[in-house]
Amino acid sequence: MVDDWAAGATIGGVVIPGLPDMARLRADRHAKVQGQLEAQNVDGLVLLGSAGVAYATGADAPGEDSGRAGLFRSVAVVVRGDSSPHLYTAFWDGVPAELPADHVHGPLFPDLDDGITEFVEALKGHFSPGARLGVDEQTHPMLRALEGYEWTDASSVLGAAKILKTPDEVSAIREAQRITEQAMESARGALRPGLRQTDLSGIFLRRIFELGATANAIDPIWQVMTPTKAEGPWTSHGDLAYPTSTTDRSLREGDIIWVDAGICHQGYASDFGRTWITTAYPSPTERQISHFTRWRGVVDAARDILKPGVSALELGRAAIAANNGVKPWMEHFYLAHGIGTDSAEMPLIGTDLGDAFDASLIMGPGMVLVFEPVIWDEGYAGYRSEDIVAVTDTGWVLLSGLRYDPFEVAA
Amino acid sequence: MTGVMALEDTDSVGFTRLRLERRRRLLAVMERAGLDVLVLGRPGDVRYATGARTLWRTGANPFAPMCVVVARTGRVHLLSTWDDGIPPEIGHDDLYGLFWNPEHLIAALASIPGLTEAHRVGTDSLTPFFGGVLAHLVPALELVDASRILADVRADKTADEFVCIETALTLAEAGLAALDDALQPGISEQALLGAYVEAVARLGAPTPPSENVVFATPLLGPVRYRYLVTDHLINKGELVVLSPGALYAGYEAGVGRTRTAGAAPSLSAVALGDRCRRATDALIAACRPGNTGADLYRIWESTGEPPAEIALVYGLGLGAEAPMVGFGRGADAPLLEGAVLNVQAFVTQEGTGGFFERELVRIGVTGPEVLSRSER
Repeated sequence: MVDDWAAGATIGGVVIPGLPDMARLRADRHAKVQGQLEAQNVDGLVLLGSAGVAYATGADAPGEDSGRAGLFRSVAVVVRGDSSPHLYTAFWDGVPAELPADHVHGPLFPDLDDGITEFVEALKGHFSPGARLGVDEQTHPMLRALEGYEWTDASSVLGAAKILKTPDEVSAIREAQRITEQAMESARGALRPGLRQTDLSGIFLRRIFELGATANAIDPIWQVMTPTKAEGPWTSHGDLAYPTSTTDRSLREGDIIWVDAGICHQGYASDFGRTWITTAYPSPTERQISHFTRWRGVVDAARDILKPGVSALELGRAAIAANNGVKPWMEHFYLAHGIGTDSAEMPLIGTDLGDAFDASLIMGPGMVLVFEPVIWDEGYAGYRSEDIVAVTDTGWVLLSGLRYDPFEVAA
Repeated sequence: MTGVMALEDTDSVGFTRLRLERRRRLLAVMERAGLDVLVLGRPGDVRYATGARTLWRTGANPFAPMCVVVARTGRVHLLSTWDDGIPPEIGHDDLYGLFWNPEHLIAALASIPGLTEAHRVGTDSLTPFFGGVLAHLVPALELVDASRILADVRADKTADEFVCIETALTLAEAGLAALDDALQPGISEQALLGAYVEAVARLGAPTPPSENVVFATPLLGPVRYRYLVTDHLINKGELVVLSPGALYAGYEAGVGRTRTAGAAPSLSAVALGDRCRRATDALIAACRPGNTGADLYRIWESTGEPPAEIALVYGLGLGAEAPMVGFGRGADAPLLEGAVLNVQAFVTQEGTGGFFERELVRIGVTGPEVLSRSER
């Protein structure tokens, strides 16, 4: 039986399904990309980045280190007016079933001069000379060989298509998050003094694959927070350094660790953030519980006013007010970020893009927000967790579900 | 060969020497190519230039100027808001922060000494936006393809780089041992992948170079090389491809083997394995200085196998590197002394399954040296 977690909430009048219908999701997504190509007068897209290819085609690919993923990358070509995207890939078993056979091709190797003529021929088959094309990366072999087109950044088309999720996309993100949270239960259950950060990674990563995840997305973070900023790494802005990468550091009794991890499932990212205490007998101090309570209050303040029509600036101001006037997020990050086929994408709330940008960023049904405020108490470290919500026609639904143990038992 | 723990008496790998030698080589090729500045965005290139241990993310991400090397000053500038994971030779003044506002990033780049007055600027990739940014920041810009320069300098491995690759291979072989232990009828491909990834993570390598590590090949019907793990439960007698890799200090190694699940190999499986080994060994024998990709294609054809559906050979180092010989590409690619290669073969027989092997091979002065030790 499918869990009716969205309880009838709608986006654009359509009920968010308990589980995504991936074929419908891909068709709707393609229609949105086509709509943006039309609206922005772009003749097509040529995409080389993993997240962009996943978005445009729905193709799955094995998780890979960037060094390998670059050379053996899939390429997506979207032609304005075409009913389906073209996919150039070696990963034949990740090709969506409904993609017509004449839209599925062998790999192109845009990083190599050898074979760039195949790339040239492929594009000739799709576009007329002088066509205006969006691209997310131009390798030097491409720069040399693919003359005669007007190249623009694909991000304007993709960004506009991606910012509003369909009900199936929201459900897909929730499914990726569900797997992540289940796997994190195993990691937290194993947390003991003496365990190494990489041991936690091993436990978590094993579980995500056992639970059916398509791929891992980032090296899971288990950063030990120092009580003061000065005891942590140097930073260019004087604020916290986070997230720093995982090592085989052994965790000690009482270490406060800020956990951050994300997977990729059916093309969609998850984002898990929690604060844990390293001990077999977790019992947070009053002070630590007050950090959590403050964090909860900040997220609640933003969520209380979250609905279509509210601006990012209003959400940021509500969060700051709930933290006694102190900005509850890190200088280099945000109060909240979007998530989709990228682990962090628009809408971004509270970045260095500035207040005018935030004032113009209006919440709409289908936007997904990962709230990740930080409560810092100099001398006592602090608290950071992440809550994911999707904006619906009338308010929001929660996509993350795990409890905040050991700080609170009810989500 | 070295382990991964710290030693009180010595550095198990001369990481300081490794980084300084890479930087020396990089500045030397910049001088030979007449480059004033390098702007790098590919993680492997950035790792080569900086030695920074930054957050690992999966997949191919769009180009951004992660690192700027200035020939005149010899300084290496890096996009990082903090110094955790940053080697000491990259000072705080050399770091520029993470920005979401492109104007702030442009201002940070503009303040890098030697960039705006540069002439010849090499990049390893580009986007329309950053092409425009460079043209704006560098009035006398002559854009140069640095991806080839980086590929050439990375191909010839130093002794320290080689130690890193051997250590990665040790971890990959440990991953194979974990897979061998876990493989039995009834286990899913997903659970096998999980057993592997936990094993290498606990050894300190939690970011597999690829998650294309396990697939069963069918006892009936057509057989193809598969890339994505499924919930398929392994059947007794199936030939199962196991292809674990590992990264150590950014350097990649891997090994590939095929096992019969829960039973002794059938006669036809033994014959298929022999075919695979003959093909792999023929390719390995051709990995000599002076040969090219065309020699590998010719050797493959001479084995009588149908055209390969996967690459025959590709370089390994900070990820997959040149030469890439496969999918019809790389016939002209030279096989250079000092390169480390992934050499692989996948052969199939309907009614039996598929058999895969991959070996790590170093091209020595006199010929190939097989580095993998796992039982074939």
